Amino acid sequence: MKREFRLSTRREFLGQSAGALALLSAIAAQRASAAPTRARNPFAYDVSRLEKTDPRLVTHHEVARWPAPQSPARRLGLAPDGTLFVCGGHYVTAVSPAGERGLEIALSAPPECVAVAEDGAIFVGLRDHIEVFDANGRRRASWDAPGRKSWLTALAVRADDVFVADAGQRVLLRYDRSGKLLARLGEKNRERGIPGFIVPSPFFDVKVAPDGLLRVTNPGRHRVELYTPEGDFEGAWGRASMDITGFSGCCNPISLALLPDGRHVTCEKGLPRVKVYSATGEFESVVAGVESFAANAKACGASDCSRGGLDAVADAQGRIFILDRVTAEVRVMQRRA
Amino acid sequence: MVSTLCLFALGGESPAEQRFPPPDFTETGHQLPVTTTPPPRALWVHYLDVAVLAGALALALWLIYKKRSRRGLFWLSIFSVAWFGFWKKGCVCAIGAPQNVAYALFHPEYAVPLTVVAFFALPLIVALFAGRAFCAAVCPHGALQDLVLVKPVKVPAWLEHALGVLPFVFLGFGLSFAATGSGFPVCRYDPIVPIFRLNGPSLMVALGVLTLLLGLWVGRPYCRFACPYGALLRLAALVSRWRVRVTPDSCTQCRLCENACPFGAMREPSPGVASPPFVRGDRRRLAALLGLLPVLVAAGALIGHRLGPAVAKLDPTVALAERFLQQQQSPVDHGLMTPEALSLQRAERDPKGLLQAAAEMRGRFVLACALFGGWVGLVLGVKLVSLSVHVRRADFEPDRGACFACARCFRSCPQELVRLGLMPAAEAPRPASEPQAVNA
Amino acid sequence: MNASTPSEPTSRRAFLRHGARLLGMTALGALGGALAGRSRSEGWVWQIDPAKCLHCGNCATECVLEQSAVKCVHAFALCGYCNLCTGYFEPEPNALTTAAENQLCPTGAIQRTFIEDPYYEYTIDEELCIGCAKCVEGCSRFGNGSLFLQIRHDRCVNCNECAIARTCPGDAFRRVPASRPYLLKTSHAQ
Repeated sequence: MKREFRLSTRREFLGQSAGALALLSAIAAQRASAAPTRARNPFAYDVSRLEKTDPRLVTHHEVARWPAPQSPARRLGLAPDGTLFVCGGHYVTAVSPAGERGLEIALSAPPECVAVAEDGAIFVGLRDHIEVFDANGRRRASWDAPGRKSWLTALAVRADDVFVADAGQRVLLRYDRSGKLLARLGEKNRERGIPGFIVPSPFFDVKVAPDGLLRVTNPGRHRVELYTPEGDFEGAWGRASMDITGFSGCCNPISLALLPDGRHVTCEKGLPRVKVYSATGEFESVVAGVESFAANAKACGASDCSRGGLDAVADAQGRIFILDRVTAEVRVMQRRA
Repeated sequence: MVSTLCLFALGGESPAEQRFPPPDFTETGHQLPVTTTPPPRALWVHYLDVAVLAGALALALWLIYKKRSRRGLFWLSIFSVAWFGFWKKGCVCAIGAPQNVAYALFHPEYAVPLTVVAFFALPLIVALFAGRAFCAAVCPHGALQDLVLVKPVKVPAWLEHALGVLPFVFLGFGLSFAATGSGFPVCRYDPIVPIFRLNGPSLMVALGVLTLLLGLWVGRPYCRFACPYGALLRLAALVSRWRVRVTPDSCTQCRLCENACPFGAMREPSPGVASPPFVRGDRRRLAALLGLLPVLVAAGALIGHRLGPAVAKLDPTVALAERFLQQQQSPVDHGLMTPEALSLQRAERDPKGLLQAAAEMRGRFVLACALFGGWVGLVLGVKLVSLSVHVRRADFEPDRGACFACARCFRSCPQELVRLGLMPAAEAPRPASEPQAVNA
Repeated sequence: MNASTPSEPTSRRAFLRHGARLLGMTALGALGGALAGRSRSEGWVWQIDPAKCLHCGNCATECVLEQSAVKCVHAFALCGYCNLCTGYFEPEPNALTTAAENQLCPTGAIQRTFIEDPYYEYTIDEELCIGCAKCVEGCSRFGNGSLFLQIRHDRCVNCNECAIARTCPGDAFRRVPASRPYLLKTSHAQ
């Protein structure tokens, strides 16, 4: 039969329209039935693989856990006699390693950090200035704010020196015991080969090692840097990596503790984990992995990560005390026999 | 006073807590860019919309009653589709406005915008006095459907009556959902707005295309068989002061306009006086139906009350609470960062608050469903009653409630043609009563 | 009897109609009066409370617009200007370069600009951004949360019932006055 070109009749038009309608509705129905069952989120930010720790790497176990005396808890300090000091709420509270409370110092603003000298003097860093208390909790001095943008996050005391980590100014401040500013350390300086601190958030830690060198976290560079008390850059270790051997995220480690034998304990946020590095900075083992800090891991992510984080100190017996800032708990970790 | 309180309660930024300072760009002196905040439509634009609505309504009235011009209404339809439809993307819209009013009545913290009140009230006021001029050519939904109607087919009366109940049901559905505060279903299930936006959920786009395709043959399917605001306007138009008449003069019963209405609104004159036995039977049936009315309402309310808890699952809060409880009994892995998993995490943070809110919401739903069921019963009952009430009609005239005032029937009337000078008066059929009078 | 002069039967109806119309006007008036005390000239618009947003990805898929009216915005004053931005890079990037395989954003909508050592600035190309919140999760998971979602009112058609709000697992959507249409994260300085 020969086919000719002609205008379609009304009946054909109606038939075709009906056919098109049926096809359209079939497609719509199919798409509607397919839509609601979304098995997975195509836009998920997936770090679930990294939230599991190889159990063979874990060398410590939890021997005790006690609640921080105040909430929200911020940081830990360790006195030379082994007493812990916890910054939380508007208080700094002394706590024995077993969790019994002692001296409590009330402050006008939330304390950010604390350090205790050999003679028992207690240095408390508030957000923008330092207050000094004697061993009985009486206030002896209040130092001036170092700068308009100051945000103090760590204190370390050695003999006559007080080292202050100022995250807001991205600088390490060296004071004498009377509160006189002696030097600004670690500021970017090409001639002296100092790279400068990258501190995107209020997490910036300093410790004085027994060898006399300062260990300073440089979270934006994902490493720990070594400085002399005079501010000479002596080296650094650490690398950025989500896997267990490196420092995760944008800005880690956030805090640092020193074991008696000179090894380092590092804390991270985002993927909350506590690890041990050798004195020269090689990864050694895991103290506690992300699994141990479920609430902390969740706290980072809702709005930002400045409310999460961990802090740790290590005492003379090698016990590691980990403060979970989200749950306001202190865990006592000991090396497995 | 209340509105200022609302302003403080709902608006504004999160409390200005101390934030960590950004870095100093000492080498380049780089300035931090400012986060841009493009503003929403300005207030005067909303007022302009109200003014355009009022103007369009006035123009429509003039075109219907004074000019009796289908062509004028056609051009006004094009304007409305362009302005309220494609330009304003179907919002603000009178069809959705009753929900805002219902929501505002039950939620004191929601101050209903004046624009929405105007869009709700103006067409209704017009309808109370002069019929559905809004539907004629101002409503973009109606105008668009009116424009695509090319080959009208007659919907059988039984189907027309049966489907005619749907707008009232949809109205009740929309109002009860809005009043409980769990959504605006009239807007969600609007098939025409996706056409105006050239965009939307695939199901609704398909429905919109379907509606328009159907609208090629069936006049204004959405307006007649779905539009909840149309239901309100229909009620208002039933009691209107003035009405659309086919003839500009007097009806000659020439029947030329019989098939002129593509929307099934034309009504024949009543066929003289019925015989007494017939009337008696009718009266008995009417009495029975009137008696049935409360029964229908009660049955509807009862069914609605029973269905309430099931319907409440449509509310997001109730749905989440149910999923949370189910999760407690038999945990399901919802996958990484899926909305389901995340909402369950939220539920875990405050299970008590969630369950309480859900229980409250379910209570509101049971009440709303009972009212809705009663409403459906009432609508069905009134429909049955209205079908057995005889309306005495002398002329061919459009039904007050059903007439969209589209002006299509005018030109079918010889008297109109005479009026327009398109036909000599002598050729027009004379009133049917005249020859009788001469004979007598 | 006479068709052209309808009389008594219609007048009863007319009376009923007049009454009903009066009733209708009264009802409308009462409704208007009840609402007038609470209504305002200013309208409402939808906005996302960034503190409640859970970064689920619904904003990319649920908006009635083909390209969602929700976009990622950047509060620059909160940003750390990191080299390794977890909102910009995949969790485990091969290198810190702008190569596509290293980028987290599925549409490459984030621009990375070097400012000065060691700082980089990140800006959102709203034409490309689909509002999926992947970068928001990356940023707030590890960083300061300077990236967050907002409804852009130059795009939003302000539906009576926001389609995303219905499915938001965080219940983060709410109506805000049109004069203050954004819920931005505030900065330290301001």
